Amino acid sequence: MSALKLLKHLFIPHESNNQKARILHPISLGLIAMFLIGFQLILSLGYTSFPKVLGYAANISPGEVIRLTNVQRAANGLASLTENTILDSAALAKGNDMLAKGYWAHFAPDGTSPWSFFINFGYKYQYAGENLARDFSDAGSAVNAWMASPTHKENILNPHYKEVGIGVVEGSLAGADTTIIVQFFGTALSGAPSIPLAEAKEVAVSSPAPAMTVVIASPTSVSKSISSPFAFTKNLSLGIVGLLLLVLSIDLIVVRRKRIARIGGRTLAHIAYLGMILAVILILKAGQII
Amino acid sequence: MIKHLPHFLSLFGMLFAGFTGLVLFSYDKNFQLSIAVATAAGYVAWGVVHHILHKDFHFEIFLEYLAVAILGLTIIFSLIIRS
Repeated sequence: MSALKLLKHLFIPHESNNQKARILHPISLGLIAMFLIGFQLILSLGYTSFPKVLGYAANISPGEVIRLTNVQRAANGLASLTENTILDSAALAKGNDMLAKGYWAHFAPDGTSPWSFFINFGYKYQYAGENLARDFSDAGSAVNAWMASPTHKENILNPHYKEVGIGVVEGSLAGADTTIIVQFFGTALSGAPSIPLAEAKEVAVSSPAPAMTVVIASPTSVSKSISSPFAFTKNLSLGIVGLLLLVLSIDLIVVRRKRIARIGGRTLAHIAYLGMILAVILILKAGQII
Repeated sequence: MIKHLPHFLSLFGMLFAGFTGLVLFSYDKNFQLSIAVATAAGYVAWGVVHHILHKDFHFEIFLEYLAVAILGLTIIFSLIIRS
């Protein structure tokens, strides 16, 4: 079979493929799904074996996180938070503690609370709060994700807080390269008892595998430019869904023009479903918050 | 398409609801995965009901909708888990 005939067989309704592009047959679609699953397994293996090649791309500036937090507060009629260097140091210590002990949670596996970092650095608080984010490529995406979550938004827009500190750390968490943002909110004590006022909803502690390597980032900025597994997956998914949508569109036109009668699903329905998948691929962004 | 308009409107509505849910609950991955499964299942169910009502249902058609749904789910799962 010549290359041209093969392409026609794969992508255009024809007698050779029973009037439906071969790539649209259920078996072909199943094979593509299996290929994607296999790709994810290979990516996970590569991620573990070559973390410096398949790590995470991040460009996070603590100052930008504070600026964007204050933009959200201003938009809601609240006073800006002042950066406190003690809270910065405490947040950085919390980030490094997560990397060193290999956990992703508000409370360490040994029971260490977020508030102990405030106290250890000599910040006696009247009110205190914590937001955590990881794997975001920029400060804006992290702040947007916090604002989309009711509990984290509550922290950002809490009128009781006067000060903020940001720690950005980069290292290996449970075998995966990551960038963690720790956002500490506080109001210094002025006679009243210390109250951890608000904390983002705690989730189950992730597998406490110890970090293999820890790179402590300076509190200025974390920036590296390597491709992430998420970016690989997103680009491959875009390619596959884009190709299928193109073939389905050709199928729709050819079948109508040639008035082909065949047993099969509605091409327009498949276009609608894969169109939704394409939209989801485009809007999904990397990053987790707790 | 025009004669199937009511059916397609329900399909578009369901897909739009699924997409909106995935956007609104971007902070809850487990719920996003549930929405993706529900949307895929709804899509297959829509295909079956649509073809039964038009009296042209065949098992091969069910397999076709199922294959498209599984492919879409594989993509969404890969991305949500990787994100």
